[in-house]
Amino acid sequence: MNWVILPFLLPLVTGLLALVFGSSAVLRRVVTTISAVVQLLVAVFWVWKCRDGAVFCLNIGAWTAPLGIAIVIDLLAALMLLLSGITALAAVVYGMYEKSAAKEHPLRLPLLQFLVAGINLSFTTGDLFNLFVAFEIMLIASYGLMTLEVRGRSLRHAFPYLAINFFGSALFLCGAGMAYRLFGTLNFAGIAMRAEQMPDDPRVAILAMIFLVVTGTKAGVFPLYYWLPKSYTIMPPAVAALYSGMLTKVGVYVLLRLFCTVFPHELHGLHQFLAWLAGATMVFGVLGAISCNTIRSILSFHILSQIGFMVLAIGFFTPLAIAAAILYIVHHIVVKASLFLAGGAARRLNGTDDLSKMGGLWKLTPILGVVFLLQALSLAGIPPLSGFWGKFFIIQVGLSQGQYVLVGASVLASILTLFSMLKIWLGAFWAPEPAEGVRLQAKGWRGMVAVPAAMAVISLIIGLGVPFFFELAQIAADSALDKQRYADAVFQYEGKGDLIRP
Amino acid sequence: MQLDTAILVGLLFAVGLYLLFQRGFTRMLFGFLIVSNAANLLVLSMSGRPDGGSAPVVVKGAVAMVDPLPQALILTAIVIGFGVAAYVVFLMYRLFLEHGSSNAAVLYDQPEDEEEEDDT
Repeated sequence: MNWVILPFLLPLVTGLLALVFGSSAVLRRVVTTISAVVQLLVAVFWVWKCRDGAVFCLNIGAWTAPLGIAIVIDLLAALMLLLSGITALAAVVYGMYEKSAAKEHPLRLPLLQFLVAGINLSFTTGDLFNLFVAFEIMLIASYGLMTLEVRGRSLRHAFPYLAINFFGSALFLCGAGMAYRLFGTLNFAGIAMRAEQMPDDPRVAILAMIFLVVTGTKAGVFPLYYWLPKSYTIMPPAVAALYSGMLTKVGVYVLLRLFCTVFPHELHGLHQFLAWLAGATMVFGVLGAISCNTIRSILSFHILSQIGFMVLAIGFFTPLAIAAAILYIVHHIVVKASLFLAGGAARRLNGTDDLSKMGGLWKLTPILGVVFLLQALSLAGIPPLSGFWGKFFIIQVGLSQGQYVLVGASVLASILTLFSMLKIWLGAFWAPEPAEGVRLQAKGWRGMVAVPAAMAVISLIIGLGVPFFFELAQIAADSALDKQRYADAVFQYEGKGDLIRP
Repeated sequence: MQLDTAILVGLLFAVGLYLLFQRGFTRMLFGFLIVSNAANLLVLSMSGRPDGGSAPVVVKGAVAMVDPLPQALILTAIVIGFGVAAYVVFLMYRLFLEHGSSNAAVLYDQPEDEEEEDDT
């Protein structure tokens, strides 16, 4: 039995079960929580199996590649699966404290599981058109989940999200069609082998550019980010944590996968172009954050600025830079999701997340303050917290390449990140208690603090155990950059079909 | 044939994008539909020149066929596009109920709601 399909199948089946047992909220929650734990264990199993850089493949329908669809897990995919497992479990558990079972929308947990299924399929698929399908599963679930519990006028902020992703999907479809015409296959390994044989073909670089726009739309890279900060703030924190942690990072992951494993490593200056886009994303994201005055919108803008760091590392495109990007993604997903959750707890306690009306949290709930401060400083990149190391390695690569302007922009973005995190700290935690008081009798806030606290522990472990995690990231980067190993895993299976291999 | 299709795809994209940038919901909806069909047509044209190829239905005896894979791809894409279009229609309807207008300019001109955090 080949378990490669399990990370996709488990959330899909759970989503269906949660729909079937939709009438009983408690049953729905039990089924989803058990499944989320199992998904996390499966992801740990895959990281353990891939720890030395091995690549595992399932050729669906027993067709020999490049016929049929290949599902592939390497260390990079396994790490992403692990992170999606952690974030999904946190979102499910946090959701239970956020709303009582009776008040929970019956479609929330099923849609959340379908969303995770789409995310996990995007991580594991080895086929370009299957990736399109995975994106659509993810997007349709995310449209539904985003608008599910929105009341009133905020609903309008979901429309730009829908519109830009609709256009992105159309562009992706065009790109997939053109890739099929150009390479004669949609299999990642097949495309990689064919593309090696056509250096200096401008069509390959143009295709890479199309996919840069598509993944840039998903990830929120400059200048395609305007939809993100507004649409992420209309969701309840449990859902927003999953979106901010995983959805934008799916775009970054696919960018990594396409540029490392699929497209040729020499793309005529496209990498440099990517690095400059990343620099602009960092600076504009953090400037947006400074101009905001609610916790959720500040955190949403920071997603952009952090995406800039990851994409900058991909733009530098050396094995060390890719490893740094992977380390940064690992750090960022945990920190960002827990900050959104901590922000939700602060909002519950203060009754609002407008910083000018908040206050008194440090005195009354010091644990929440410690959790927030740890994660905020980590986001800004204070050593020895997890965020520092990713930035350190990225800046090191940048300096060795002589990219002083981009390095300067990233340092500036880090300082401004610290500044806007201090703004939240001063407004919500340090400021005196507001006249309405802090609602310590509010339901569920202890659980809403405990979940981000657990994630803060994970990010502390990442920060303190950085030699181990960076070695893991380097193995993941090497295996993602090694096209031959990927192709060997995909093509080793002998099944039906007798097509000449590319 | 290839050139005709290319021009048609370009034209459809132009029309679709023009409609997407309008303010009325109905026009935007048509823009969505036309753009997604333009993408489908582009994928279809990736089968190559259809001259001399028969429909990809295997009967006894080998004959030249057009490449069936792009047709399979757009079949999937059409279904997905239809699902998303249904969602777009519904979201637009809800926005219309909420704001009493189907004009995006009016919609985004209205002030934000005061937010209430319920703690149940």
